[in-house]
Amino acid sequence: MKDGVLLSVENLHVRFDTYAGQVHAVNGMTFDVRRGEIFGLVGESGCGKSVTGLAIVGMVPHPGRITAGRILFDGEDLLSKDEEEMQHIRGRRIAMIFQDPSAALNPVFTVGNQITRIIRHHMNLSRRDAYERALSVFEAVGLPDPVRIYRSYPHELSGGMQQRVMIAMALSSGAELLIADEPTTALDVTIQAQILDLLAHLRETQHLSILLITHNLGVVAEICDRVGVAYAGNIVEMGATEVVLNQMKHPYTEGLIAALPSPTRRGQPLQSIEGSVPDGLHLPSGCTFHPRCPHVMDRCRDHTPPRVQFSTPYGDHVVSCHLYAREEAR
Amino acid sequence: MHRWTYIVRRLILAVVVLLSVSVVTFFIARVVPSDPAAAWVGSHPKPDQIARARIELGLDKPLYVQYLMYMNKLFHGDLGTSVQTHHPILMDLKTYLPATLELVLVGMLMAIVIGIPLGVLSGAKKESVLDHVTRFFSVAGVSIPTFWLGLLLQLLFFSKLGLLPLNGRLSVDTTLYHPVTQITGFYLVDTLITGNWFAFKDALLHIILPAFTLATYPIGLTVRMTRTSMIEVLNQKYILAARVAGLPERTVLFVLALKNAIIPTITVLGLSFVYSLTGAILVEVIFSWPGLGTYVTNAVLSLDFPVIVSVTLIVTVFYVFINLFLDIVQAMLDPRVTLQ
Repeated sequence: MKDGVLLSVENLHVRFDTYAGQVHAVNGMTFDVRRGEIFGLVGESGCGKSVTGLAIVGMVPHPGRITAGRILFDGEDLLSKDEEEMQHIRGRRIAMIFQDPSAALNPVFTVGNQITRIIRHHMNLSRRDAYERALSVFEAVGLPDPVRIYRSYPHELSGGMQQRVMIAMALSSGAELLIADEPTTALDVTIQAQILDLLAHLRETQHLSILLITHNLGVVAEICDRVGVAYAGNIVEMGATEVVLNQMKHPYTEGLIAALPSPTRRGQPLQSIEGSVPDGLHLPSGCTFHPRCPHVMDRCRDHTPPRVQFSTPYGDHVVSCHLYAREEAR
Repeated sequence: MHRWTYIVRRLILAVVVLLSVSVVTFFIARVVPSDPAAAWVGSHPKPDQIARARIELGLDKPLYVQYLMYMNKLFHGDLGTSVQTHHPILMDLKTYLPATLELVLVGMLMAIVIGIPLGVLSGAKKESVLDHVTRFFSVAGVSIPTFWLGLLLQLLFFSKLGLLPLNGRLSVDTTLYHPVTQITGFYLVDTLITGNWFAFKDALLHIILPAFTLATYPIGLTVRMTRTSMIEVLNQKYILAARVAGLPERTVLFVLALKNAIIPTITVLGLSFVYSLTGAILVEVIFSWPGLGTYVTNAVLSLDFPVIVSVTLIVTVFYVFINLFLDIVQAMLDPRVTLQ
């Protein structure tokens, strides 16, 4: 285990047994989240990034199951833990927030009731102390008038406030790792920026490490230290955000970035990547990106691409692509 | 504050509903081709006796006058006199209504205590053995004819096992040596208040079989409603969020999910409560339970119109108030529901 790594996902495989057959949602996902960093896991919908997030907290939805791999959290293998041990980790050490905060808050309980329930469960505090803690966490996430928020029902709050409440609930028991699954996708652009600022701020003040799952490269560019680009349940490129976004090597990453609308290309047709995301039922052989790759070679069709590692001033830069296989030796 | 204006408005509406029901039942009762005066005097009446009874009962007056007379008495708390028993109806109701209410309330309690937990677990463990067994029994509960089940239960628990009494509200011994002091008319309550433990135990034993027979339908319904809405609620993001937050499964199911899932169940329970007030007739007959169902059935058979109209009004009152109560409960459980 490398120094400073909080979470390490190694060769994770998740399968869903459906009537149509085995759906390969996650296929060898490998990445680290270091202490105090914001790691972005970016990819299109269906690339297995959300399932990976759920797998880390041991909540892969039915009928999915983890078929291979290791998930090391602070040196402990989470996959070898039973349900009771996982309950001690969930909420207490690893917390998670979701895309649509209005759906992730229970509509028939006040926000205060929901957060104190979590605090009291994890921290064994009296009603009074839990209330005080709830108010201070509300303040820490920048909610104005915590007492009023405490008494509110979710539907009485705006989307941005709801997401702040979710973040408050997630961090109320002192979690070290926050898995944020598309935390800003359902929000207005101005609110998105506020929530991202808040996450960046909390990373500093609460000694938090964040696994940020998103499809939005803009979000990644904004706050992530490092980023992993996921395609068909695997990481195809990973490295420091500056490197991956500016000196990308994988054809998929190139395609993603070329597809971003840009003011400098005004009037030109929008770029897109040919074809569509493979479904997990019929994964392409070899490199899963080969049917859509502009640089496809013969060996891409039936050979799994190697993980090629480059050294940069910003740290390691890993690419899974046959194009760079010969450069491996460098 | 607007909750109270809502309640007041609903109460005013309730009065309108009650007036309409009184008009409709009153006139239907009079349109039916039968002669209340003849019923009043008994068998083999002489024509002059009938004529005298007609004047005595005010049946010679125009229909609307009869209605106004009836309503006038009603507002003074006089529900009229039963043609058949010649008792004031209010007096009859004081014995019959509590008997039925007690039976129905115990039945509803059973539906809640048995039906809701089974529905929750069945919904949470979809397709498990427990779920299949529960669903089998809930379908059975909804479809088994009451009278047949009542007889079977009597056969098993009285004849074969000798564990529970056959019928009635109390055994003869209790009536003779430990008589129940009537306070509320609910024997279970009255015996508790007066500390009459012997009669309490006896009343409890007597109510188990009829209440359970009555409860099978609501239990089946409760299980199915709770199961269905639990399955829906458990798919919601906030349940995943609660589990990810590390909350124990017990809390997730019985607090966080149930408060969302229980609303349709409560509606169903409220409606089957009202239905059981008069619908319990088969159970009351099988278990010789001196309740409203028996009373109104006899009244219908003997064309005892004052009783029919009074009972209809009483049931309407319950219906209106249960519905109001259900709406308020719903608004209390779900803050997104506004009473307007």
